[in-house]
Amino acid sequence: MSATTSLSNDYSESNVAMLKAVFNGGLKLLLAPLAGIGLFLLLWSSAATSINTSLGQFPGPAAVWEQIHSLYQEHREERVKEGAFYERQEKRNAARQAKDPDYVVRIRAYTGKETYLDQIITSLVTVMSGFILAVVIAVPLGITIGLSKTLNSAINPVIQIFKPVSPLAWLPLVTMVVSSVYVSNDQLVAKSLLNSMITVTLCCLWPMVINTSLGVRSVEKDLINVSQVLNLSAFTHIKKIVLPSAIPMIFTGMRLSFGVAWMVLIAAEMLAQNPGLGKFVWDEFQNGSSNSLARIMVAVLTIGLIGFLLDRSMLKLQQWVSWNKTANS
Amino acid sequence: MNAQLEISHIDMVFDTPKGPFTALKGVDLKIAKGEFISLIGHSGCGKSTVLNVVAGLYQASKGGVVLNGREVTAPGPERAVVFQNHSLLPWLTAYQNVELAVDQVFGRRKSKQEKKQWIEHNLELVHMDHALHKRPDEISGGMKQRVGIARALAMQPEILLMDEPFGALDALTRAHMQDTLMEIQQELNNTVIMITHDVDEAVLLSDRIVMMTNGPEATIGEILDIDLERPRDRVQMANDAEYVRLRTEVLKFLYEKQRKVEPLVAKKKKQQEGKKAKVA
Amino acid sequence: MKWLKSLAVKTLVGISSLSAAVSHAELGYPEKEELRIGFIKLTDMAPIAIAYEKGFFEDEGLYVTIEAQANWKVLLDGVIDGRLDGAHMLAGQPIAASMGYGTKADIITPFSMDLNGNGITVSNEIWKQMKPNIPKQADGKLQHPIKADALKSVVTKYREEGKPFNMGMVFPVSTHNYELRYWLAAGGIHPGFYAPHKGDTSGHIDADALLSVTPPPQMPSTMEAGTIYGYCVGEPWNQQAVFKNIGVPVVTDYEIWKNNPEKVFGITKQFARKYPNTTVRLTRALIRAARWLDANNNNNRPEAVKILSQSNYVGADYDVIANSMTGTFEYEKGDKRSVPDFNVFFRYNATYPYYSDAIWYLTQMRRWGQISEDKPDSWYLETAKKVYRPDIYRLAAESLISEKLIKAEEFPDFTTEDGFRAPQTHFIDGLVYNGKSPNAYINKFSIGLKQGDRI
Repeated sequence: MSATTSLSNDYSESNVAMLKAVFNGGLKLLLAPLAGIGLFLLLWSSAATSINTSLGQFPGPAAVWEQIHSLYQEHREERVKEGAFYERQEKRNAARQAKDPDYVVRIRAYTGKETYLDQIITSLVTVMSGFILAVVIAVPLGITIGLSKTLNSAINPVIQIFKPVSPLAWLPLVTMVVSSVYVSNDQLVAKSLLNSMITVTLCCLWPMVINTSLGVRSVEKDLINVSQVLNLSAFTHIKKIVLPSAIPMIFTGMRLSFGVAWMVLIAAEMLAQNPGLGKFVWDEFQNGSSNSLARIMVAVLTIGLIGFLLDRSMLKLQQWVSWNKTANS
Repeated sequence: MNAQLEISHIDMVFDTPKGPFTALKGVDLKIAKGEFISLIGHSGCGKSTVLNVVAGLYQASKGGVVLNGREVTAPGPERAVVFQNHSLLPWLTAYQNVELAVDQVFGRRKSKQEKKQWIEHNLELVHMDHALHKRPDEISGGMKQRVGIARALAMQPEILLMDEPFGALDALTRAHMQDTLMEIQQELNNTVIMITHDVDEAVLLSDRIVMMTNGPEATIGEILDIDLERPRDRVQMANDAEYVRLRTEVLKFLYEKQRKVEPLVAKKKKQQEGKKAKVA
Repeated sequence: MKWLKSLAVKTLVGISSLSAAVSHAELGYPEKEELRIGFIKLTDMAPIAIAYEKGFFEDEGLYVTIEAQANWKVLLDGVIDGRLDGAHMLAGQPIAASMGYGTKADIITPFSMDLNGNGITVSNEIWKQMKPNIPKQADGKLQHPIKADALKSVVTKYREEGKPFNMGMVFPVSTHNYELRYWLAAGGIHPGFYAPHKGDTSGHIDADALLSVTPPPQMPSTMEAGTIYGYCVGEPWNQQAVFKNIGVPVVTDYEIWKNNPEKVFGITKQFARKYPNTTVRLTRALIRAARWLDANNNNNRPEAVKILSQSNYVGADYDVIANSMTGTFEYEKGDKRSVPDFNVFFRYNATYPYYSDAIWYLTQMRRWGQISEDKPDSWYLETAKKVYRPDIYRLAAESLISEKLIKAEEFPDFTTEDGFRAPQTHFIDGLVYNGKSPNAYINKFSIGLKQGDRI
């Protein structure tokens, strides 16, 4: 009896110890960031009360929280309005069809305002599509450049000159070119979206090309010898040897440019009034209402959070794709 | 002698920033099918250069390599190479590393099932069947080297080129690998050219030892025939008079005829180079 | 009796404009149903917001997306390159575009958006210096309208100290530019000439006060930053200065020129030609929206203000917009005065595109040198006729009348209407404007180019 008690005691003691260890570990793991965030909120709210702008007091955490709520509320209301819009449209279409049987009904998309959530999605779609377009161009280009010394020395000066150019400098040119080249009556993608997308692409392109070609060039000589001895075809060589060894570098380039692209996109949207989070910030700034600063702050936090999540997901993607699981932040 | 492989009057000149450097001068050697050749010499004497020229990774500046009566100028799977530091693709498992070679060499000539069996068979030969699906970073250096050999063997090469295949291994593993290699060579009757620094290894494994003079303008100094009976047993050999004589011959060549510099300095230098090779 | 008379008129109209009557009876479905309309964040974009929110666009079968634009140039380019189908425009923009001043394009306007609605605001610092110069009423309040005479000594002082006296307006061909110039010049302050034939489009030649372009919503912050000392802009950006405590509105354009035409709705000539039904239907929706805004003595205004304060329209606080939209205007903090006609959207035939309105802008362009050559009176009318399209307005109005949505007497009498308002008298300098003799009008100004002048 006593034996079992002591046994179970041991067990529970070790259990407690383990729990403690987990708790301590977890605490340490969580405590520091939580304390950091807490301290930040404290500093923020105390600083906010002492800053007065012509639009009123600088928003503290409470005001921002309130605006998060109200933005969400607006989103819900807009969805209700959207439902009503389609209902009215159906009725109108039915009435017209009754009068005019030849009429081919076309459902027109909702014309109401973009809510905050819509704008987040627009920005995300823009940055993703611009990024993917850049990958599609940059990775093959980088590989080609990395494989051929001649091509590298031919293209490198061009890249080196374009690399330091802020993509925002391209924006006016992109806008003009898109509006003159992209002319179709039934535009699948809005011009403004295309403008921001191409700006993002231009932003991502150079670091990706450079990193990819660097990764390709730094393939170990031994592995290239293996490939030669095996007489691998160019395609197999790239697929089996070049790409896997260049992937860490390619992803470094991708993550680098993705982060910058996200920042540039916001600026481009502000500058060109293209739909998205940047336009939201600009509109709120122009509105100059008493809620504007808090709303801009919501956007600032959203932009930061999304930027962080994008970087994390790139990292996860890298770890998933790459054979080398040691990639870290 | 009916030569399968003919290394014919090879010169090798490298362009360096300081001007042309003649690494090899007039290297000339005929090798019969099934022969086991060791290349021995001091560091920097151009052994690896010879091997790379035979592999087709380097182009000789003068002279050439003839395999079965045809000149070779490019690398090919009939001359498989076992590299000094295994050179496995780190993102592929042992099985996949061998598979890459098998797919390349046999293409559609073998069915999927046949290929699978063939890959497993070759990994069994080097006693790696227990770690088929491990990646290089999960296995020891000796195991990696064995996978490298399995990859080369799986290509069914006419010539097996080995560049210090056991250089980085500890003595026990090395002995084990040597025995394995002897068994396999006995069984498959491949032609083998192996670079080594190890005199015992050379004598134990080879039919002929090709001893090279020091560079620059390195060339073949002497060729030593090893007429020891096969299969050879390392323990018995240790007391065999002929074995000891052959071993002494090689040592004499290396440390008397081709003594490089002051022994101590030479030793130090060798260590450094060993390190460099590992780093590379 | 009145209804009898109107009935008689209607019958007459019906007979005399039989073709028009037939056409409105047959007013077809819109050729283009999905439209994008641009605007600048100003309260006078209200007819567009109301036409959307009250369903007037949808009643016409139009699905309209409304988009705020960064500035007037972006907006105009948007209409020209087709990104926008139509937009809320400065009255001067379509006129200047058709003349080729700036970007050359054929922009027409079938609908005037409003009367009045602008104000001139100066920074607190300037206000402190000009306030002592303003005469007081018997009750101790400042006498309105405040004239630029009070500002003149301040400008002179700055000039003597070598400091350029910068002021903001929203666009070189904007109402605000001409109003600010009119007010300054009436007080003896020279706002500067343009000389486009010499490549000088800064408008600073001979200037006492230097005017430059700033987008409306950025006016308050630009003044707060000290870049400009004052500005002329539409609402809510004057009231915003009061609320933010950064400046004082000194005069409204209602006081400079009572019931002056302000914004117009602009579309390209090609659009009107390609989509005639859509054009008429757009005009109908806007007329109904404007009427709603002024209906029942501005009774709907609070609701309109609520809509305008949404972030996707004007977005300023309700109180700021309400100040001017509901018939009051706050000058110096606390000095709230009633200005019931500060924003007029429908009364006084505000929506009808009068040729005389266009010609007034042309006279000011000539006065300040944007039109560098003398032009005969006939040229003024021809130019106005190219841009202002009362014919489209009339089609829209008559179809609204025949559908009994709006009564005929709420519109100008189309049978006698010749596109000219009666000579207008209520200017701050007491001059009279008659659109039929523009050259004679130009010659009346003491500051400004006159017939025969050339820089």
